[in-house]
Amino acid sequence: MTVMFAIGTAVCALSALTCWIMTAMRSHPADSSIVSLGLVELYLVAYGIYAGFRQSSGASVVGEGWEFWGYVLTALLLPVGVFIWAMIDKTRWSNLVMGVVGPVVFVMIYRMEEIWWGAAL
Amino acid sequence: MGSRPVNKRSVSNSSAGSSSGAESSPEPPVRPPRNRGVGMLIITAYGVFAVSATARALYQIIVHFQDSPIAYTLSGFAAAVYVVATLALARTSARAWVLALCAVLVEMAGVLGIGLWTVLEPDLFAESTVWSNFGQGYGYVPLVLPFLGLFWLLKHRPGRDLRE
Repeated sequence: MTVMFAIGTAVCALSALTCWIMTAMRSHPADSSIVSLGLVELYLVAYGIYAGFRQSSGASVVGEGWEFWGYVLTALLLPVGVFIWAMIDKTRWSNLVMGVVGPVVFVMIYRMEEIWWGAAL
Repeated sequence: MGSRPVNKRSVSNSSAGSSSGAESSPEPPVRPPRNRGVGMLIITAYGVFAVSATARALYQIIVHFQDSPIAYTLSGFAAAVYVVATLALARTSARAWVLALCAVLVEMAGVLGIGLWTVLEPDLFAESTVWSNFGQGYGYVPLVLPFLGLFWLLKHRPGRDLRE
């Protein structure tokens, strides 16, 4: 397991937990849920830059570069899209909607690591 | 997930006339429409699948179409079904309800049919579509989603949200 993947796992878990707890505690989109979504996005930007440097320095990819960057791009769009959707109706459930991002992004970075290294763990 | 959430809009509607709220409005409290409340979560799940299935199908069709044309065409079809289901679920008209119902039923037939087919003939579309092996590669979410969607649609038939 790479350090980047470990950080990603922690960020995603933290975001999901925050959003789930806030679903129970707040009847509106909580600031902490929104901030946690921002952290996931920040992590993904950092991951993208890191992967860009890694690739430009000539590191080899086990899987296909196409697929890898497809995942990076889709993952980057996800928190933004979900945030916009969650803000359409500001209720308790906005938090639960935002709580979808953590698990989904985790699965996506798992796949990215798998494509790059051949195995994520 | 105890009582149904009373969102701000319906609160301000029912207590618009009186500040005390003692005067009960002629109609019972308005239920949140199909695309609000928990419905937003179901639509989010469909949206995530629409985006990821489309991205995957595009990648498969652009880069590897020759390898397995039938499987990748099916992948594209599955992606289209998720896109239609997401858009139809997010709209509130009676026509959108019918379209959503059709999309969810096609999805259910797809995941059950392709799921069964890939179990009987494992070499056929193994791991190449969202519906292979009943959606095993996606944590079986594709198997659960159409049942959730169907339940939600039947619970929110057109017209009922206003009268009931």
